[in-house]
Amino acid sequence: MDAANTPIPPAMAEISEAPSTSAAEIQKAEAEFDSETMRKTKPGLKRFALTLTVLLSFLSGLPFLWKSVEIYRSPLPFREIDDLSAAVELNPLQFPCRFEVVFVDFGRTSSTANELSVSIESHMRKLAEKDSPSCGACNYNSTVSVALESASDCFRTDGDFNWKCGALNGLMNKYEASREDGGELFDDYLKSLLNDNGSSSNGGKVYTVIVVRREEEKHVSAVVGKYRHAWIIGNISKEEAVKKVAEVFVNTFVNGGKEEGSIGGEFMPVGSDGRIVLSFNLLNANPNDWTYDWEFQEIDDNILSPIVEALKPLADIRVESQVLYHTPKSSFSYWDDKLESYIYTTKDLPFFVNSNEWHLDTSVAAGGRSKILHFVVYVPSAEECPLLLQLPNGEISKTNGFISPMWGSVAVWNPSACFKDLKMDTRARHKIPREDLTKTFEIFIGQLRQLFGLNSKNHFADASGTLRLLTSERGFSEWELDFLSRQHTCFNLLQCTTTLGSLSRLVQSLPRMIIKDEIGKQVKYSLEAAKLAVSNVSYGMYDASAVFSRHARSFAEDAFYHPSMMSVSYYSFEHCFAVYSPFFLPVSLHVVLAAVREWKRYKLESRKYNTWKAKKM
Amino acid sequence: MSRLKFSFLLFLILLWGSESTAEEEKEANEEFTEALLLRPLPDRKVLAHFHFQSSAPPTQTYGRHHYIFPKSIYQLVHKFHIREMELSFTQGRWNYERWGGFDPISSSNAKPPGVELWADFDVPQNQVDDSWKNLTHALSGLFCASINFLEHSTSYSATQWSFQSSSSGKLRYGTLPREAVCTENLTPWLKLLPCRDKAGLSSLMDRPSIYRGYYHSQRLHLKSDEFDTSKISSSGIVLEQTLTVVLQPNTFSGKKLQPSWSLSSLFGRKVTGKCSLSNSSNVYVQFQQNLVSEENESREKSEAQKNEILIHEGSHNNPLFALSHPPKRVIKEVENFQKEGSILYEYSVEDYDEYGPFELGLRWKVPVIWSCQQAPLHASRFLLGSGNERGAIAISMKSTRSNDIEIAGLDDEKACSLRVGIFQVVPWYVKVYYHTLEVFLDGESQATMDNIEKIHVSPSEDKVSPGVMEIVLRLPCSVKTAALTLEFDKGFLHIDEYPPDANQGFDIPSAVVHFADFVANMSFEDNLSKEIPILSKLQEKIPVRSYTEVLLVPLTTPDFSMPYNVITMTCTIFALYFGSLLNALRRRRGEEERLLKGKGAEKGPLSLLLSRLSAKLRGKQWEPPKPSSSSSKKSSVNYKLVAKVVLVAGIAIVWQFYYQ
Repeated sequence: MDAANTPIPPAMAEISEAPSTSAAEIQKAEAEFDSETMRKTKPGLKRFALTLTVLLSFLSGLPFLWKSVEIYRSPLPFREIDDLSAAVELNPLQFPCRFEVVFVDFGRTSSTANELSVSIESHMRKLAEKDSPSCGACNYNSTVSVALESASDCFRTDGDFNWKCGALNGLMNKYEASREDGGELFDDYLKSLLNDNGSSSNGGKVYTVIVVRREEEKHVSAVVGKYRHAWIIGNISKEEAVKKVAEVFVNTFVNGGKEEGSIGGEFMPVGSDGRIVLSFNLLNANPNDWTYDWEFQEIDDNILSPIVEALKPLADIRVESQVLYHTPKSSFSYWDDKLESYIYTTKDLPFFVNSNEWHLDTSVAAGGRSKILHFVVYVPSAEECPLLLQLPNGEISKTNGFISPMWGSVAVWNPSACFKDLKMDTRARHKIPREDLTKTFEIFIGQLRQLFGLNSKNHFADASGTLRLLTSERGFSEWELDFLSRQHTCFNLLQCTTTLGSLSRLVQSLPRMIIKDEIGKQVKYSLEAAKLAVSNVSYGMYDASAVFSRHARSFAEDAFYHPSMMSVSYYSFEHCFAVYSPFFLPVSLHVVLAAVREWKRYKLESRKYNTWKAKKM
Repeated sequence: MSRLKFSFLLFLILLWGSESTAEEEKEANEEFTEALLLRPLPDRKVLAHFHFQSSAPPTQTYGRHHYIFPKSIYQLVHKFHIREMELSFTQGRWNYERWGGFDPISSSNAKPPGVELWADFDVPQNQVDDSWKNLTHALSGLFCASINFLEHSTSYSATQWSFQSSSSGKLRYGTLPREAVCTENLTPWLKLLPCRDKAGLSSLMDRPSIYRGYYHSQRLHLKSDEFDTSKISSSGIVLEQTLTVVLQPNTFSGKKLQPSWSLSSLFGRKVTGKCSLSNSSNVYVQFQQNLVSEENESREKSEAQKNEILIHEGSHNNPLFALSHPPKRVIKEVENFQKEGSILYEYSVEDYDEYGPFELGLRWKVPVIWSCQQAPLHASRFLLGSGNERGAIAISMKSTRSNDIEIAGLDDEKACSLRVGIFQVVPWYVKVYYHTLEVFLDGESQATMDNIEKIHVSPSEDKVSPGVMEIVLRLPCSVKTAALTLEFDKGFLHIDEYPPDANQGFDIPSAVVHFADFVANMSFEDNLSKEIPILSKLQEKIPVRSYTEVLLVPLTTPDFSMPYNVITMTCTIFALYFGSLLNALRRRRGEEERLLKGKGAEKGPLSLLLSRLSAKLRGKQWEPPKPSSSSSKKSSVNYKLVAKVVLVAGIAIVWQFYYQ
C-alpha cells in the first residue's frame, strides 16, 4: 500500500469511490498498481464484525424493550363473540311449543284428526306471517295434536297427547256450575283434567284449547284460563273453530295477547343485574292540608309478595316503600264546573312528575345497576282536590293514573275529605282506607303488567270477536309468564350480544387499552352462559334459559362497565415515543450508519483486493 | 257484692292493661322533632343551632315501612350494620376562646374543618374495614361529597377510647380537612327531613345567610341498636341532624352595644309555622350563665334603686335586654354550688302560620360584656422547625383558669389532677418519631412517663396506614401551660401520589383533645324537658371535647416535568457517549491521515467559506482553490441531498398516515 506514491488526480479518486468501475479503468489499472483501486492485503473484518455485533445486540434487545412497554391485554374471544352475535341476529330465537286441541261433540265428520291438525297449522302460519317474526316467539314447525271426541268415540292424532278420552262426562256439568264465578272453577277442573305439568317430554310448554260444540248456546264464548289452556264453547262450525283456535294459539299463547301500541319486549324493565326494585311512594302534596299514611306492610304481604313470587324466574324483585311530603305536581290543572273537580289532561302528563321536589331515588339500589320502578300514589292538596285525569276522548280515566315506560307509574288518589268539603284535623295522621288502598294497588298491578308489555284489561279484542281472559290472583297467569320468560330470554340474549359486540369493537379500536384478566373471564362466562341459554331454548327449558340469559347479560354488562375499562391507559404510544426517542433515535442512527458504512467499505475493499489478485494472475 | 268487687277489680286491671298497651303503642312510633336554639355570643355574634331528630322503632316489632324516617338512612343502617355513626361537614373554625368550650353545644357540635366521619359497626372484626369502605362510598353518593377518599387505608384509623368509652375495636375514624362544604351538601341533608326546607324551622335556612356566617357545621348522628341481640327491647334507630351556624347580625348600632337582632335580620326569612309532621317545634333563646349573673347583679341594683319587684317569669323584659314576645316557658338550669345556671326561653312556633309568621327579636338595653365558660385547658397546635426535611409538632395547652377545675379534682390538693386525652392522626408521609415525645409542664421538660396515664401508639406504615397516637395525660391541677412535642421527618411521595396543587402543602387533621373528667351538661329542673330531644341532648353527660387547628405541612414537591427532563438529558448524554465510542472503535487513523493528505486540495463549500474567512482575518489575499471539474460532481451531491431530504419527508408522511 505504501508503495503507492504517485499523486492521484481528484477525479480518479472520485470515480474509484463510485460502485461501478468501467472497463477502461481496469485496463488502465492493469498497467500499474493503483492504490485507489487495488490492495494487496485482504480487507480486515474486525471493525465490520464489531459494528455488526453492536447492531445485532441492539436488535436482540428490541423484543425485551417491546415486552417492557407492552400493556397487559387479556385475550378476548373476538371470533366467538362475532359468531354468537351472528347466530342470534340471523335467526331469531324460537322456542319449541306444543299445541293441543280437543274438539268435543263435533259428531262424525268427514275430516279426520290429522286433517284438522294440518288446517290449524296452516292457519297459524298465515297468522304468524302477518307480523314480523318477533324475538321469543314459538316455533310453528311442530305439529298440532288434535283429539276428536264425541259421545261414542274418540280419535287422536298420534303422539304423546295426554288427553284421556271419555273424561268429558263431568265437563259440561262443571261448566254450568262455574257460570256464576266466571269460569274459575271450570278452569281449575280443566287443569286437573289435563293434568299438565307444564312441559311435554320433548320440551316446550303445552298449550291446549278445548272446543265444545253446543247447539243450545247462542253465543260463542272464548275464554283463556289462568293456566295454559283456553276453551271455546258454543254453536260453532268446524271451519270457524279451526280459525278461532289458530288465533288463540298465535295471538294469545304465543304473542301474549298484546295490543296495538303496547310496550315492546325490548323495554323489559329489568336491570342489567337481573334485579327490579319496586319502589312505592306515597306523596302528600301538601301535609298542611292533610297527611295520609298507608298500611304498606299489609299490602306487601297480601298483594305484592305473590306477584314477586310469580315473577321470580324473570327477575329478582325487591319491594321498598316511603312516604314523602311537600311534593306538589309540576303541571297545572283546571276546575271543571260540570265535573266539579280539577282536571288534568293527557297533555299535562309529561309535566306531572316533579323531579325537583319528588326525591324518589332514595334507595341504596339507585347507585347500582338494578332497575327501579317508581310507583307513586299522589295525594293532591286541598287546592286541587279532587283531581281527575281526562282522556283525549273527553272521558274521565277510571284508573286516574298513568305509566311511563321504564320509569314507573303514577296513580292519583283523592281523599274523601275533598269530596265532602269538611274541615279535617290537619295535625292528625290519617290512613288511606283499606278498600281504596286495595283498589290503588290493583291499578298498580295493571300498570306493572303494562310496564311488562302485557294487556291490562280482562278481555282481548280481536278481529273475530272478543276473548275473555281470566285473571290470576298472582297478577300474571301462567301462559303470560311463559310469554314474558320467552321474551325476557330473547331480549337478554340480544342485549348480551350487542354489549359484547360493542365491547369487542371498543377493545379493538383502542390498542393501548389495558384489559384485565377479570374482564376476559367475565366475557368468557358471558359467552358460556349465552351458549347454555341458546341450547336450553332449543330443549324448551324456559326457566333455565331465562336464568342463563340473565347471567349472560349481567356478565357482559359487568365486563363492559368494569371500572378499569373507564381508565384508558395514559401510557399512550406518543408517551412511549417521547420517553424512548431521546436515547434510541441518536443511538440507533449511529449504530445503523456505522454498520452500513462498514459493510460498504468492506465490499469496496474486498473488490480492490480482488482486482489486485486478478491483476497478479 | 264480692262478685261486684271482683269485676270492678278486673275492670281496673283491664283498664290498666289497655292503658299500658296504649302507652307502648305510643312509644313504638316514629317521631320527628325540630328545634332551634339561639344564643347571643360575647363577640357580637349569634349562635344558631338547629336540631332535628327522627327516630324509628325497631324493625322486629314495627316492620320495614316508615312514614317519617328517611328510607335511605334506614337502608344504610341495615346494609352496613351501623351501630353508631357521625358525619359532619364544617366550614370555619369554632372559636373556643370567645364562643366557649364548656357547654354541650361546643363539645358536640364544634367540629374540625372539612369532613369528619366515624362509624361503629356491628359486624365481625374482619369485615369492619370492608364495611367502612362501602359506607364511605354510599355516603359520598348520598351527600355529594368526596367522602370516598376516606376509603383508602391511609386515610382512616381505628380509635381505642377517644370517641367511645368502651372500645369495641370496630370503630373507624377519618377526616378530610380540605373538603369544601356548600349547598350541594346541605340539600341532600335536608332531604332526610320529612319537610325538607319547605316548612317548619328549616325554612329559615336561607342559603346565602347561613353560608355567610363565621362558622357552619352540619352534622348527622346515627345511633341504632337493631343488631344488638343481647338487648331485649331495643329503641330502634335514632337519627339526629344538627346545623350549627355562627352569624353576625347586621345592625347599625354603636360599637359598644351588643347588636340587637331578629330572626328575619339573621336569616332573612321568618318561620311560617311548624313542620306538620313534627311532634314539637320550639325555638329557644339561651342566655349563658355569666350573662345571667350579670343580669342578676344589675337587677339587684335596679331593685335597690327602684324598689321594683321583678318576677322571675317576667324576665324576658329585664334591664339588660328585651325579647319581642313573652316566652311560653322559662327553663332555668339548676344552679351548681358555685356557678349560676343559664336561662332558656322557650317559644313554640305551633300557633303561627303564613299570615302571622313567627318573628322573634332581641333588643339590648345596655352594653354588656360577658365571657363564655372555657374548657379547663385551651389547646392549640403548631409546627416547629423549618426546612423541607424535618420538623416537630407541638400541642400546647394553656390553662383557662376555669373555676370548675376544683369540681373535678379531688378534695385533696395534692392528689388533684386533670386528665387530658389527646387523639392525633398523622398521615404516613409525615413520619413521626414517637420516642421523641416530650412533655413540658409550665415550660419545664418532664419525664415523659410520669404524666402519662395511658398511651396507645400505632406507627404509620408507608402507603398503608397513618400513624395514630392516643394518649391520656394526667396533669396537676395547678398547671398553667402544658406542651407536647413530637419530631418528624417529611417523607417523599411517589409522583403519582401528589394531589393537584401540591405546592399548597399537606394537611394534618385536627387533634382531638378531650377531658374525661369534665362533663358538659346542663340540668333542668322540670321533668318535662326530658321529653324534648334538644333539651335531653343538652342534659346528656358528654365529656368536654375540643379540636385543634388543622396543620399545614409543606412537603418537598418536585418539579413535575422533572422526570421527563431527566430522561431527555440522560438519554442525550448516553447517546453522545455511545455514538462517539462507536466512532472511536471503528476509526482507522492511518487511512484517514492519508486521505486527508490526498484530499487536501478539495474542499467543500463550508470549508471554502471558512478558509476565505480566515484569510480575511489574517489580512491576506484569498486564493480560490484551483477550479476542477467539480461542477458535475456538485450537482450529484445536490441530487443526493435532495434524495435524502425526500426520503426523510416520505418516512414522516408515511408515519403520519399510519398513526392517524
